Amino acid sequence: MIEANTHQRMVLGNEAIALGLIEQGCRVATAYPGTPSSEILAGVIKYKKELGRQVYTEWSANEKVAFEVALAASWTGLRAAVAMKQVGLNVASDPLFSAAYTGVKGGFIIVPADDPGPHSSQTEQDSRLVALNAKVPVFDPATPAEARAMVEPAMALSERYGLPVILRPTTRLCHAVQSLTFGDTPSPDFDIPAVKFRRDPPRWAATPKFRYKLHVELNQKLVDIAAEFDESPLNYVVEGAIQNRKSRRSPNGGKIQNRVGVIASGVAFHTAQQTLLELGVELPLLKIGTPYPLPQKLVNNFIGRFQAVVVFEEPDVCIELQLPDRTRVRGRLDGTVPAAGELAPEVVSAVLTGILTEAGYQVNPPPDDPELQALVNSLPLPVRKPRLCPGCSHRSAFFALKREFGPSAIYPGDIGCYTLGTNLRAVDTFVDMGASITMADGFYQANRLLGDNRPIVATIGDSTFLHSGVAPLINAVHTGARFVLIILDNHTTAMTGFQPTPADDHLADGSDAARVVSIPELVRACGVSYVQKTDPYDQESFQKILREAYDHAHQDDGGVAVLIADRPCVLYDRSPVQTQPLPVVITPECDGCRYCIEAFECPALVLRPDKSRVDIDYKICIDCGQCIDACYKGFIVPEAMVTDQHVAVN
Amino acid sequence: MSTTGPELKLIIVGLGGQGVVFLTRLLSQTGVALGYPVLVSETHGMSQRGGSVISHLKINGSEAPLIRRGTADLLLAMEPDEAVRNLPFLRQGGTVFVNTDNGLRAEITEHLKRRNIQVFVIPASVMAVDLGAAAVANVILAGFVAAHPALKLPVERLRQTLESIVPRGRELNLQALEAGYNYFKSDIGILAGQQKSKSENLTVDTEE
Repeated sequence: MIEANTHQRMVLGNEAIALGLIEQGCRVATAYPGTPSSEILAGVIKYKKELGRQVYTEWSANEKVAFEVALAASWTGLRAAVAMKQVGLNVASDPLFSAAYTGVKGGFIIVPADDPGPHSSQTEQDSRLVALNAKVPVFDPATPAEARAMVEPAMALSERYGLPVILRPTTRLCHAVQSLTFGDTPSPDFDIPAVKFRRDPPRWAATPKFRYKLHVELNQKLVDIAAEFDESPLNYVVEGAIQNRKSRRSPNGGKIQNRVGVIASGVAFHTAQQTLLELGVELPLLKIGTPYPLPQKLVNNFIGRFQAVVVFEEPDVCIELQLPDRTRVRGRLDGTVPAAGELAPEVVSAVLTGILTEAGYQVNPPPDDPELQALVNSLPLPVRKPRLCPGCSHRSAFFALKREFGPSAIYPGDIGCYTLGTNLRAVDTFVDMGASITMADGFYQANRLLGDNRPIVATIGDSTFLHSGVAPLINAVHTGARFVLIILDNHTTAMTGFQPTPADDHLADGSDAARVVSIPELVRACGVSYVQKTDPYDQESFQKILREAYDHAHQDDGGVAVLIADRPCVLYDRSPVQTQPLPVVITPECDGCRYCIEAFECPALVLRPDKSRVDIDYKICIDCGQCIDACYKGFIVPEAMVTDQHVAVN
Repeated sequence: MSTTGPELKLIIVGLGGQGVVFLTRLLSQTGVALGYPVLVSETHGMSQRGGSVISHLKINGSEAPLIRRGTADLLLAMEPDEAVRNLPFLRQGGTVFVNTDNGLRAEITEHLKRRNIQVFVIPASVMAVDLGAAAVANVILAGFVAAHPALKLPVERLRQTLESIVPRGRELNLQALEAGYNYFKSDIGILAGQQKSKSENLTVDTEE
């Protein structure tokens, strides 16, 4: 029911979290971009402007920086929050563990977005396990609406115990869009505390002796919080699996059965409930909204009612791990639930069907059609792998790189759009942020011992370099590693939505940056003696400079040689191409050898269905002209060069 | 979520850049304007750089984010191969609306019959170019779907939503919606090569 003076709006899960933060008086919000979390800070900026709130927002250089900036704010008594993707929590782990001991003053919420699948991450790690290790309580919302609503108890708990808390969404919540109620009830007005940061050395500057005392204190807080969670309305039992709707076909007569129970948290709760509706079985479900510290009494009482209980949570165990007695528990640990991959509805359905039929229930037959699925799987449908956009400057750089150093070089890569250099076989490794430089360094040292002389050419983006490339570069300079490093500077954090970096002239909310950090100066300051800025679109020059850089790296007093491939992302700023367009045509001589497609791989180069030749898809071609060099036979030429004798076939 | 109207599960598919996200917004916001609880799951990130895009749209449904294979009522596709790829999402008696100049691959015809799935086809991309902008093909498809009783969202409400959310080119977009709607009313799409008459195609198979 929609009350008067309210309206409904479709809101992205991440924006729902942002809305909750603004509504609960968060005054400082920081983040580093990372799918699926990037829209959280963007949402805070949107709502602070819309609702006229004074909130400091920041795209920080990396997640540890973001965490500490927000932490300082919470130590002054202001409410603060920091958002990141789950692997970003790895970067922010150092201050997280320490802050659990020191505690906080103003409420402090950390929002690490997990990515079951994974859809766009290096791991399927579970931030709730990091929380368990760091001893920080976790709120585990199941929908955008719930994520927004959980900010209030999370902030309140954080302030009551002086402890940071984690609010943990997953991809299917972050990128869900749900109709939410916007009311005109004014948000609580939080007073600025009378005393700001107050000195308290045994806490804020605790040395190891004091850390022991803080640890004892922390352990007690967790015991008290667990007891509170036992009474929390965020954890509740749904007796008949379907509260609001009748199962249309219920082979078991619609009665509530007690042979099997379900425990679930996060998005998996609703998936499990929906699945039981489809299977036609009425079962009690325990929804856990606060998986750590686990409300033990509530959970163990529930388990005691059944012969077997199945636990659905993702991406890993958290609830399951905290159960002292797992004899009746089925989940990931006993192999019932797959230990990798997302809990898609089909997976949950297969697990429940197995357990329920084993327990003697009748279940509705599955609605899917394996015959049709098998047919679809067998058809030669186009494989649509992710590719760099038409006109991407990274493509030009990788193409030149391969032409200069060939397949026998070693190409450490990094994280960003340019990771797609794998398609051009110009990225051989990627591990985590900034690792391209350190892996190049490591490969150099190892190869020296092995007598392996292959060239090592590493690539890293501008945002990634500023995130965590400086320490690796300093290390490589100091130890004398010899390799070429290309900083692919497209002037933004492209993959995640064009967030500004410290090298940009504007801040998160569009205001002017105080100073712009110069990447070439920074590189020189790290001790690099060879630094050259160049335009990757000028492929001939770029190749020459690559060779020059390599030679420099390997001369007697050589070392790391750095090239800065400088050209803005064409999605972010197309003006350089628009002011100097270079439309091309493929001449009739094209024989369909596909070299351009394999080695250059622009999506606008399309092989005809009969494979006789390649055409240009002018709907997506942006006239960058970079593909001219992609045909070594000379069949891709500027349109301006086409004479009467060459008829453009496109 | 409490329901206030008929439940509807839609899968909307296409390639990055074909306006699948906007099409999903057009439909979902119309549901919201009608007072229905609405939940959408979108793909973001890597899959959007020219890759396959899929949205799950649930109106008056549960809060589970994904629609399970074999349970969707409607499949809206901006591209025929993506339509085929995602056919397994449809339930028995479901309906497909696809933007294509031809029909769907012949291999699936027998399965469509077996599952009692109806297919409606519209050359929306061609029609969009005729109207003056390739980008409105998704709105043409929306109009087309709105003309079929299975959508359960009145075209008048779609029109209102379109007016409020379209960033530019209001007139052109409204024309596009009309063009799709009228195409359905005047000329039923081709079912895998067979032309069907108006009266035959208007039955909607609902779950009992």
